[in-house]
Amino acid sequence: MINITGLSKTFQNETALDYKDMVFETGKSYMLLGASGCGKSTLLNMIAGVLSPDRGSILIDGTDMSAAPQKEKDKFRIEKIGFIFQDFKLIDDMTVADNINILRLEGVDTAAMDELLRRLGIFEKKNKKVRHLSGGQKQRVAIARALVKSPDIILADEPTGNLNYAIGEQVIRELVQAAQGKTLIAVTHDERLRPYFDCVIDMNDVTGSPYDVDSGKAVE
Amino acid sequence: MLSFAFKNMAIKKMQVILVVVSIVISAGVAVLAYNTANQVRDGITDTAGWYSAIIGPAGSKTQLAMNTMYFTDEPLGTIPYAAVTELQRDSRVKRVIPYAMADSYNGYRVVGTVSDYLEKKEIADGRLFDDSALYEVVLGASVAKVCDVTVGDEIFTSHSASEEHHEPLKVVGVLKETHSVFDRVVFTQLKTIWAVHEHEEEEHHEEEEHEHEHMENSVCAAVVTTKNPAFAMTLVNDYNGRVLTDGDGDSCTLQAIEPMETVRSILEETNSTKYIVYVLCAIILIMNVMVISIITLLNMVHSAKEIALMRLIGISMKKINLLYILQNGLIGLVSVVLAFGVSKLCLVFMDSYASSMGVVLNVAKVYPLELAILALVFAIAVLPTVVCTFVLARRDGIHE
Repeated sequence: MINITGLSKTFQNETALDYKDMVFETGKSYMLLGASGCGKSTLLNMIAGVLSPDRGSILIDGTDMSAAPQKEKDKFRIEKIGFIFQDFKLIDDMTVADNINILRLEGVDTAAMDELLRRLGIFEKKNKKVRHLSGGQKQRVAIARALVKSPDIILADEPTGNLNYAIGEQVIRELVQAAQGKTLIAVTHDERLRPYFDCVIDMNDVTGSPYDVDSGKAVE
Repeated sequence: MLSFAFKNMAIKKMQVILVVVSIVISAGVAVLAYNTANQVRDGITDTAGWYSAIIGPAGSKTQLAMNTMYFTDEPLGTIPYAAVTELQRDSRVKRVIPYAMADSYNGYRVVGTVSDYLEKKEIADGRLFDDSALYEVVLGASVAKVCDVTVGDEIFTSHSASEEHHEPLKVVGVLKETHSVFDRVVFTQLKTIWAVHEHEEEEHHEEEEHEHEHMENSVCAAVVTTKNPAFAMTLVNDYNGRVLTDGDGDSCTLQAIEPMETVRSILEETNSTKYIVYVLCAIILIMNVMVISIITLLNMVHSAKEIALMRLIGISMKKINLLYILQNGLIGLVSVVLAFGVSKLCLVFMDSYASSMGVVLNVAKVYPLELAILALVFAIAVLPTVVCTFVLARRDGIHE
């Protein structure tokens, strides 16, 4: 479970995020909606330990990761977090397999890679250079890299941002399916993808607690 | 990590090749220049140190020294053997080695002397020539190797390219390789040289004039070792300018030199050239250091995105630093090893040129400063990476 309390982050005197309390339960998928600049990506980066909040805390299973030293944040990110980016963050001149095996630098076991690539339908691209793949295929590689270490938390920052709706929908369906039993927090502008998530949070008017997608009410 | 480092280098092969070539050129040139300059200097001075004085015909000091010690250049002429006999009687003299050079074998000098001259040389095969026997030769290691001649074979020397002597000389020994001028010379008894030429003269006795010099009872020079180094100067003073008359009534003016002093003056004359070479090498090295640093820095800037990506997915700063240090360390190591290899390869090619100066370049000879130059180049190849990765990896990947 992720407990966020009084979180705030400012970049060059401009507030990027200023929310009240939020809770993300283990095993559920969350969709974060909101206009550009409302702090969705900043929130994900703070949960992942890439950025530190100016105020407030992020408790992950009871541990305040925002106050942890960088070394511990790195360890936490590599072990517990699977991060998927809008621009994929892949090394174009390397193969699909090498882009995933890069995690071995930190001792991550990537034995599940083949199975994941099969499930995501890109196994035959395993030894192809990333630069020769389509946007949808690249996003699947990024998903495979995020999931191969079986993380507890999956953070997806606009994973469909560079894809058309049909492919985006397929990617989200595969992502949600692959993330079964884990905490998935995905930032997206596309409201048509709501049905795939357990909870939807509109970051424009969030008051602290996430919304339940069915009831439209805050989760207790 | 090693396999990932190789893969990462493979995707940047053009940049890697550029860095390697830059390092190989700069380090290779620097090491080669330093090694060659020192080997030539050491080779010349070492040989000069063996003798106290050289007595020969009047003429160029340099020519007498170069011809007698390094078997290069042409002999100045001949002096009567009586000069050798007189030197042998001199109480200051410990040893006199007569020396005659008139013929060649496949381009290699044939030197007539006494077996004492080779007493400190190791024999690889066979034995030294017998001072009382004629027509025996001992070959330098390179001569035997290049001409494919072994002990028991007979060779024919020649006075010029078109004039081969008819008297065969029997190979009785081959010297062990010394990486010195001795590797490239055919040694025989002094009397053999006289005998070969006397025989030729008899064959041509009807010719009124012949091109051969009258070799019998004459030598090109005599190298002298004194009982005390202090005697060398007085000996040189006594013999320099002395006029000797042979049996035919021909007079000959002697020249006596101290080889070390002559070599020192030769080296001093070439010192300015040596410094120009050093300065040029230093400029090349500095320019290449700058090129290597700039290429490495540009590579690292290009790698900034990659480093940011790795930081985002959780690769630690320590691992990123290690990865890039490993990569550039490998590039640096391969480059300096190649530079060293290329410099040695060039030495092999330069050997034939240096041998014309009487110096044999030893490919296996390595000076400590050469290793220091290579270590410096290696450090220059790796240090910018350490600084860059440290700076880049400390940044938050999200801002890249």
